[in-house]
Amino acid sequence: MAKLILTSENQIHRLNTVFNTVENLRGLPLDQLTKRINPNAWSVLEVIIHLNIAYGHYHQKFDEILPNLPNIDNEQTKFKCRTWQKFVIEGQRPKNNVRKWKMKTLKRFEPIIDMKKVNELKVNEVFDKFFELYGHLKNSILTSRTKDVSKTKLPSAIGPVVNFYLPESFEFLLCHLERHMVQISEILDELEK
Amino acid sequence: MDKDDFLLLKIFFPNIQLSEEEQERFKALWSIKTFKQYDLITEAGSIERNFYIVLSGVQAIYVLNEKGEKVVLGFSYTGSPSGVFDSFVRGEPSKIFLEALKPSKLLSISKSDYLDLFQNHPSFFEWGHHFFQEVLFGRLSREVELLTLTAEQRYISFMQRCPDELKVIPQKYLASYLNMKPETFSRLRASVTL
Repeated sequence: MAKLILTSENQIHRLNTVFNTVENLRGLPLDQLTKRINPNAWSVLEVIIHLNIAYGHYHQKFDEILPNLPNIDNEQTKFKCRTWQKFVIEGQRPKNNVRKWKMKTLKRFEPIIDMKKVNELKVNEVFDKFFELYGHLKNSILTSRTKDVSKTKLPSAIGPVVNFYLPESFEFLLCHLERHMVQISEILDELEK
Repeated sequence: MDKDDFLLLKIFFPNIQLSEEEQERFKALWSIKTFKQYDLITEAGSIERNFYIVLSGVQAIYVLNEKGEKVVLGFSYTGSPSGVFDSFVRGEPSKIFLEALKPSKLLSISKSDYLDLFQNHPSFFEWGHHFFQEVLFGRLSREVELLTLTAEQRYISFMQRCPDELKVIPQKYLASYLNMKPETFSRLRASVTL
């Protein structure tokens, strides 16, 4: 299996691209953001809420780990992702704007919102929260550039079956974001039909 | 901004005639930004909001290739302009990173203030014409060097023209800029007498 080399610059670039996409979504009409393409599918807003929930686990972990990592004087070198972690990450990563396979979302990550009560204020809250949370991810990636990231592992949100070094966890979160950006694009395409 | 910083600013805009009052207003448009070594000044995927003039330090502009490696397009250093110009001009997300390779102090002007300069003082158009002409000539000359010179010739040409402060940055950046492997750069450094 080919190696997966992780760099913070690549991750920052991709995260900024996601930010630009989500910033554009914010300007969509309420109807487009809240409409489901079928009763069992999520709306765009529900996808964003899911992403907000998914970051919760990592938010706390990054705050615990990053301040305690030793500083490095040199520039951060590339990080080689481990095999099992690569497998988990690649399961999330969309290929050519296609989600390879659909996954059942764990109950605790499901977005719960009463769509009848959603108004523009609520939508703005959801988007503001997204930028707050993933702004935290960006700061964590930037901070990690001057830290020795090979010292501490963290359990993934999936459970103890997967643990990550920081660059692996960043990559997992990014692929998860990119996967859901593809999903949002599919929802919007369906709504346009 | 102290006297020396303002002097550098005036040198950068040599043919701009401003009254004392205009000079004060002009000065007020610029702010000083400092960056630690390895700080990303501009990130790919974001829009370049500022035009910079370097007061101290060295910065690299680079893109990432498919392997995630940095491919260096150029450097900025004391007295030179800096920033990601295409993103700044177009107002579109950049594909390029600007990183401080040494602790850096930059004079910064925002896009709206930069545009106001042209609006309020037509002589800036003449400066802009010369500035972007020089940028274009510089890029053309580099393209010719990359396409026609051998690695050794590129190394010699670069080392003869580059300022001393650039010679102390990590070799891998210089090697990438010259489109050669760090090992080749190292071998040339050891074997070529300038």
